[in-house]
Amino acid sequence: MSSKYSVIGQRVHRVDGPEKVTGNAKYTFDLVLPSMLYGKILRSPYPHAKILSIDTSKAEKLIGVKGVVTGKDTLGKKQGIWRRFPELCDEEILCREKVRYIGDPVAAVAAIDEDTAEEALDLIEVEYEPLPAVYDPMEAIKEDAPQIHDGVELNINVTRHIEWGDVDEAFKKCDYIREDQYRCSSQAHMCMETHDAVASFDYSGKLTVWTSTQSAYYIQALLAGMLDLREGDVRVIKPHTGGGFGSKFELDSSQFCACILSMKLCKPVKIVLTREEEFTATKRRTPMYYYLKLGAKKDGILLAKEARVITDGGAYTGMGATALYLTGFFSSFPYKYPNYRYDGYRVYTNTGPTSAMRGFGAPQAVFAGESQLDMLAEHLGIDPVEIRRKNGMTPNYEVPGQAYIQSCGLHQCLDEIDKHIKKRGKLPPNRGIGIAAYGFMSGGIFNWFDTPYAFSSALIRINIDGKVDLFTGACEIGQGSDTTLSMICAEELGIRLEDIRIHAGDTGICPPDLGSWGSRETLMNGNAVKMAAADAKSQLMEFAAAKMGVNITYDLDIKDRWIHIVNRPERGVSYFDIVKQAIRGRDGEAIIGRGHYTPHRKGMISPAYSFGLQAAEVDVDPETGRYKLINVTTAHESGTVINPVGIEGQLEGAIMMAGGYGFCEDQPMDDGKILNPSIADYKLIRSVDMPETEILEIDTYEPEGPFGAKEAGEGLTNPTAGAIANAVYNAVGVRITDLPITPEKVLRALKEKEKKGKKSK
Amino acid sequence: MIKDFEYLAPKTLKEALTLLDKYGDDCKIIGGGQSLLILMRQGLIAPKYLISIKGLSELSYIKETKEGLNIGALTTHRAIEKSPVIQKKFSVLAEMEQRLASIQTRNWGTIGGNLCHGEPAGDPAPVLIALKATLTIASLKGERSTAVEDFFVDYFEVALEHGELLTEIQLPAAPPRTGTAYTKFNVIQSDLATVGVAVSITLGSGDGICQDIRIALGATAPIAMRAKKAEEVLRGKKVTDNLLKEAGEVASTEAQPISDIAASEEYRRELVRVLVPRMAKEALTRAKA
Amino acid sequence: MKKELKLTVNGQPYELYVKPKTLLVQVLRDHLALTGTKRGCNESSCGACTVILNGMAVKSCSILALQADGGKVQTVEGLASGTKLHPIQRAFLDHGAFQCGFCTSGMLMVSTALLNENPKPTKEQIKEGIDGNICRCTGYNSIIRALTAVAKGEYKEGK
Repeated sequence: MSSKYSVIGQRVHRVDGPEKVTGNAKYTFDLVLPSMLYGKILRSPYPHAKILSIDTSKAEKLIGVKGVVTGKDTLGKKQGIWRRFPELCDEEILCREKVRYIGDPVAAVAAIDEDTAEEALDLIEVEYEPLPAVYDPMEAIKEDAPQIHDGVELNINVTRHIEWGDVDEAFKKCDYIREDQYRCSSQAHMCMETHDAVASFDYSGKLTVWTSTQSAYYIQALLAGMLDLREGDVRVIKPHTGGGFGSKFELDSSQFCACILSMKLCKPVKIVLTREEEFTATKRRTPMYYYLKLGAKKDGILLAKEARVITDGGAYTGMGATALYLTGFFSSFPYKYPNYRYDGYRVYTNTGPTSAMRGFGAPQAVFAGESQLDMLAEHLGIDPVEIRRKNGMTPNYEVPGQAYIQSCGLHQCLDEIDKHIKKRGKLPPNRGIGIAAYGFMSGGIFNWFDTPYAFSSALIRINIDGKVDLFTGACEIGQGSDTTLSMICAEELGIRLEDIRIHAGDTGICPPDLGSWGSRETLMNGNAVKMAAADAKSQLMEFAAAKMGVNITYDLDIKDRWIHIVNRPERGVSYFDIVKQAIRGRDGEAIIGRGHYTPHRKGMISPAYSFGLQAAEVDVDPETGRYKLINVTTAHESGTVINPVGIEGQLEGAIMMAGGYGFCEDQPMDDGKILNPSIADYKLIRSVDMPETEILEIDTYEPEGPFGAKEAGEGLTNPTAGAIANAVYNAVGVRITDLPITPEKVLRALKEKEKKGKKSK
Repeated sequence: MIKDFEYLAPKTLKEALTLLDKYGDDCKIIGGGQSLLILMRQGLIAPKYLISIKGLSELSYIKETKEGLNIGALTTHRAIEKSPVIQKKFSVLAEMEQRLASIQTRNWGTIGGNLCHGEPAGDPAPVLIALKATLTIASLKGERSTAVEDFFVDYFEVALEHGELLTEIQLPAAPPRTGTAYTKFNVIQSDLATVGVAVSITLGSGDGICQDIRIALGATAPIAMRAKKAEEVLRGKKVTDNLLKEAGEVASTEAQPISDIAASEEYRRELVRVLVPRMAKEALTRAKA
Repeated sequence: MKKELKLTVNGQPYELYVKPKTLLVQVLRDHLALTGTKRGCNESSCGACTVILNGMAVKSCSILALQADGGKVQTVEGLASGTKLHPIQRAFLDHGAFQCGFCTSGMLMVSTALLNENPKPTKEQIKEGIDGNICRCTGYNSIIRALTAVAKGEYKEGK
């Protein structure tokens, strides 16, 4: 066997490929059950109001309507994904007394078809008492601002503080200090499949929910809590899912309302959010106001960084508390700051709740931090790559009191991008290359969901024909976890990918897993799968050793379905033969392997981090401010590459999304109302707008990860906005500090620069 | 949600005009429906009757004539984009169509439907205005002709009376030494124009004298408009960089853009100021070729 | 009042009875249970509903079914012949030109129409050809590579 691995590292077809390219993959969107009803949700037109009364009688009388529910039909509980902290469980979903944003649900209808349900919404009469509303977090923290949640002073939802060293003392020692402010916008996930759910409550008191989700387990647990059902009586099944990107691991209105209706009517109810609801009434990326103070010696060594961030939380907490923490944590990445201080404030406003989106606070941190670092470097006369070299993290580095970084290939990434930039040579006028560096986590350690389960678990069953069933709670949402985990299983067990059948994201048959977010599946679930496979393998090998009668000093292994002596690979037996005999020998009982993973004692944040550096090249038209994204080249390292086709896809997809964050995506609002809740008005990168992409893979090995792998896919969304900002500056000398970097902003800055007659900073 | 309606599919133009006359305000004509269906799905329009003329092949054609070119109102955008005669004789039209919406929309949507929709940011209107196109409008009473630049009344409102149907677009053959160019400015390439600029220049026999010029703007007013004052800056004069710059400045004051989520009024004016000279230069290059 | 609709879908003739407001995508998904074609929006912007009608790629959410009366429709379900995948499907598998898969049916159909009309498109033509279809997962470049490979003849019969 020549290569080190047989399966991982190979370019394979996705295991869900044949279904998806033939149109056979079934999504929640496609699900139709006998006697299924269709639901629609009535939402508040006011950003802040008391609900005085709801009269559903006319709607109930409409022919074809089978049921109407309001907050009164719920148990009145509040939920939130930060279960350990009840004060952060602040969302009823179906509001009882108060609405807090335009789009907050107040009622839901189930009818024989969608059109009837929609018609019925117009017949529900809601009497509101509008309350004063506030939309800007800077206004919301003032004494006289309207209070959005009872008992929450100054609308400050969450605060976070991270500190090490002594920044105030350190600043005194700096030769150069900069203070800058940045504004990071919101962003819509724009999953191709909107949020949807089919809920079916039956007469035995059990609830089954099919839904587009990143975490079947979270939905199960949250629903059980909200509906006062045992978790075991709630089964959540994730069919093929059309994207998540952070929007689908919390309980949302389509799921909750479908359940309430189904429980009332004892019939399946399907709710599919419209694209407009998707834009206005599902959670979005957290907008942030950034203040950064950065100090360095004149040789470019960074001594201190201070970050103060106010995030616009919208109406409810969601995962916003995590985004608040992570933005502060990743503001310290990927450099060695001897002194650091972060204070973050998450403030409620009467706008759609902001929560998690791919990058989870890090894209904002990197946009601000990398923009500022370039400015500091320019002032000190130091090359942007060089300043990052001087300060970049290295393997086995400890972020003081915070995190321990084992593998880190940042410096190799810097070298590769340096080569790339030099190869590009002298650029024509109005063209520039900008870089941005990042480091991102492979799943988080904190247990704010207060789960009693292992963070990841997996079960493997080797059947008598040698076919393996892999059961995992990990949720395939397009990112490729089904394929990656199957590859890990196949590699560990020494069989082929086609020998594995994966069952994922069904709480009825799969062991729990926290879900696909924070880029945790490859490392965490990968470890669980590897452990389960190793467990099954060891049972098999025990039998094989006995059967083959090998000397105890000989090592046995399986590779490519061949169980053999490691030093004498020609001496072996077929995997299939051994399996058959082993199972026969156990009275036909299949071989079961169990695995799980929960990171312990790995610092406070994550068991492993992936790093990278991205270079974006832009071509600016200085007369209009418009710029084209020519090329985005990324050097990154994610440990051992399990699924190379998958990683390339994740990187290019990340560039589209993160590039969009920098280039064009935005959700402008007026009095709490999103002004562009349609794809036509929400600008995102299409194929013609997509830049050329180049991937430079750096070889590293992460001891904590399965076969040395760590995250790839979320970290890659961190750098693009920052790289674009730096590229525009290098092209035409203007620095845009608020996202997105639109042509209009660029032109305005160019005109101001012209007026001032000097470089604008 | 689309409200229910009665669907009528006349087989001839005469039949269509009869139905249109009969149902008046209760009906709407649907060609490809690429604009109409969006409005109906949003509940903005809810006609009782929809008269589908998509099947009237008699209104789908591209015909060369002595005077120039005639295009049937039901000709699809894609047919115009791909037409060899249009690519040769009115290339700016084919270029504009190539960047209009998406291939799918162009395959089914019609030029007539686009014009009658009256979208202020629409691409065909400024190009047709620059090309001095005229329209034939039919009704049971007969036919009448109007210039494209007189066809638009207000946002999404065109000069069609009760019982009238747009049937044909006529492009007069361009005089020799004429060049026309169009650009639409947007951030995402397939978006509606933030600003659209079409310029047509006819050079006189003298050296570099602009004998005739048309500057048509889209997305800068409730309707596609001509920047007539800007035209005057160049008409009859030798084209110089300074004059081009002045024309741009005048055009930017003539335009009446609004501020919306795509751009501010100020930025739109700035774009007009920059893009008019650019397109005029391009038109000049084409005129000389 | 419902009207008769005759449609051939993937070579199979159908006779249906539909309300005039029924969209072509609704006939395909809801009446004929061909759920391969998806819907990602209600405003003709995303392209997920793309099918081939009378040889042209169209957005099936933007066409009244009755306007397609007598026409021939090809959906993603009609690309493969039995177990034999269409070259574009094979190219998509090889190049990982999809991830969540929700846009994939529409992408395959617009690509098929593109390559039917022009078997050797340039990279620019491919980019423009699929510009009406949004993909949130792949960043398009793998799709462009897949189609470029098909255009180069790498998926001809017998390969």
